[in-house]
Amino acid sequence: MASAESLTEKRGSPLLRVSGLTKRYGGECAIDRATFYASPGEILGVIGPNGAGKTTLMEAVVGLVAADSGEIFWREEPLPASRRRNELFYLPDGVRPYQDQVTADVISFFAGVYRCSIAEVEATLSSVGLQSVLHKRVCTLSKGYNRRLLLSLGLLTPHELLLMDEPFDGFDLRQTREIIGVLRHHAERGRTFVLAIHQLADAERICDRFVLLASGQVRGLGTLEELRAKASLPNGSLEDIFLALT
Amino acid sequence: MHSRKPYIRAAPLSPLLAKEVREILSGRSLWTMLLLLCPLIGYSFFQAVSLYSESSSAAVQSPVLANSLSPLDGILVPTLGSFYVSVTLLFPFVAIRVLGQEKESGALRLLVQLPYRIPTLVIMKLVAVVLAWLLASVPALSALAVWRLLGGHLSFVETSNLLFGHLLYGTLVGALSLFAASITESAATAAIVALAFTIGSWVLDFTIAGQPGFLAWIAKLSLTQTLRPFEQGLLSGGLLMGITAAICGFVALASVWLPPGVPPRQKVLRSVPCILGVAAILGLATHAGWSVDVTEDRRNSFAAADQQLLATLRLPLVVSVRLSSEDPRYVDLQRNVLSKLERAMPSVSVSLAGNRHHPATTSSDDSYGEVEYSYGSRSDVSRSTSPREILPLIYNLAGVSQPSPIAGSEYPGYPLVVSADATFVWFFGALPVLIAFCWWRSHRPRRFDRYLKHEGDPS
Repeated sequence: MASAESLTEKRGSPLLRVSGLTKRYGGECAIDRATFYASPGEILGVIGPNGAGKTTLMEAVVGLVAADSGEIFWREEPLPASRRRNELFYLPDGVRPYQDQVTADVISFFAGVYRCSIAEVEATLSSVGLQSVLHKRVCTLSKGYNRRLLLSLGLLTPHELLLMDEPFDGFDLRQTREIIGVLRHHAERGRTFVLAIHQLADAERICDRFVLLASGQVRGLGTLEELRAKASLPNGSLEDIFLALT
Repeated sequence: MHSRKPYIRAAPLSPLLAKEVREILSGRSLWTMLLLLCPLIGYSFFQAVSLYSESSSAAVQSPVLANSLSPLDGILVPTLGSFYVSVTLLFPFVAIRVLGQEKESGALRLLVQLPYRIPTLVIMKLVAVVLAWLLASVPALSALAVWRLLGGHLSFVETSNLLFGHLLYGTLVGALSLFAASITESAATAAIVALAFTIGSWVLDFTIAGQPGFLAWIAKLSLTQTLRPFEQGLLSGGLLMGITAAICGFVALASVWLPPGVPPRQKVLRSVPCILGVAAILGLATHAGWSVDVTEDRRNSFAAADQQLLATLRLPLVVSVRLSSEDPRYVDLQRNVLSKLERAMPSVSVSLAGNRHHPATTSSDDSYGEVEYSYGSRSDVSRSTSPREILPLIYNLAGVSQPSPIAGSEYPGYPLVVSADATFVWFFGALPVLIAFCWWRSHRPRRFDRYLKHEGDPS
């Protein structure tokens, strides 16, 4: 695998750089000196099985969990926890926001906060396919539509970098492909995504680069080709590479 | 590239407030509380009107009895008393919802990433809680309207003062509930914490009220103390300062404890200055003596002629009381004379010289029970707790003659003989149906284009 520095040179200055991030719960190390970066306009996948530390890593990056050590850089400038929400927006997994409110109310709340125009909101809703359930209460939405709601909220924010925890959880194959298309479209327009995914097939379809995480440690970092080279599996799938490196 | 907007400093507050209000309105707790309040307040009002009417029957025949009939004591305090109990026991569930629901659903992790400061989030939640309190006060306010329709009298100033006291109390309970929700993980635990505080406050009041020294100071912090001066028709500066400090303190503590991602040790350290600041202000507030008598019958003041004359006595009046603070005579003296003197005269200082007194040791201190009044170079001693004896004594010390009563300043009283049977239809029928209709109406979805026109920034 190429070093982080050499990849940085290829892709230009990273938008987000995480250096030596560590988080312990008591004696257990949930994240162990995690180091990686995300470049502008790319889709970076944080890949790992359940319990690998993906969620903790994402929450520590955005400052929702206090890290024990490590630094976060934004455009190579240190980004303290208090300022991270200015640059990063994180969509957690398993959230059903404002369950008793109508879906449209939740959308209009975010649209109002970020001063989105009706055209922007309608384009977002159309792209994620949420219009048909706008009149429903959030608590009555299926898992897939709740995921679409969360995705809409994230896309309504103006942040350059979005972190999403399990963004395809709750979608079937066709829906996953639709949403991949939506994220690709936004990435082409300059938005950067960091996605925590445990389904390796989904990750292989959408991500430009991968952070392989196991037991809180980064075991591999790079494009599929770079990881294949590191794992000495020239035709290996992401699944083969992951098993070889972790 | 994705366009960035200057959103960080310019995030509008209206969507946030609207979201908080919707969060309260969309839940069951507020509506359930409103429905429970209808019969509670209705029954209290019915009882109050019945008793007032019975007392008025005799007073209609005799004007002397009429001047003891005040709607403040007879109608307002008992009717709003049931509202006070409901706010203490039920309102925490409404207030906790605005934060507890977000914590439980995980939406808090979205909320804290929005471009608002944490105190702004907490203050907006408190504003929504106050709006919910205003909605919850509808049955109580309707009782006052019904009283007027029955032909009853309401003094605008004393009614406003009492409602203001209830508003402050509701805000205090709301702020306390938000703090409880911020330090706990679930709404149920937050409710236990909030109720432990409010009900514990009652227990505190029962057990150590009347005790001397530090315990007396602690008893003054009880939540039950917050409404009493308002119910007595007083607007007290010290109490206002204390309640405001407590509300600000709870908001500050909730702001400290709300954000995830801050280690608990850091939260504890940040809480210390908040607690010390509030404790210091509460300490000052218990010594702030400024208060205004807003009652129509001037029950917290001497007669108008005495008030005018006492205001002209410029030298300091020093009162030395040889009674223990828990002695009923001291309580009488404080209520009938000393508190009124403090409001009427420019400079009054009271010192409590008596220790705890037991009847078995009466012979050891013959001076126990004496109250010494010093004005200028002259002083006198009395054991009375009645202004009829003490005011002439003070006038004598000051070398002024007793004033003549001012004609027409007597409180007439407002007797009213009326049946409140018909009010059952309102409190047990029409009002609950109206509330249920509003509940149903608030749950009906609107057209989506109206949402954005209302809250967004259409271009």
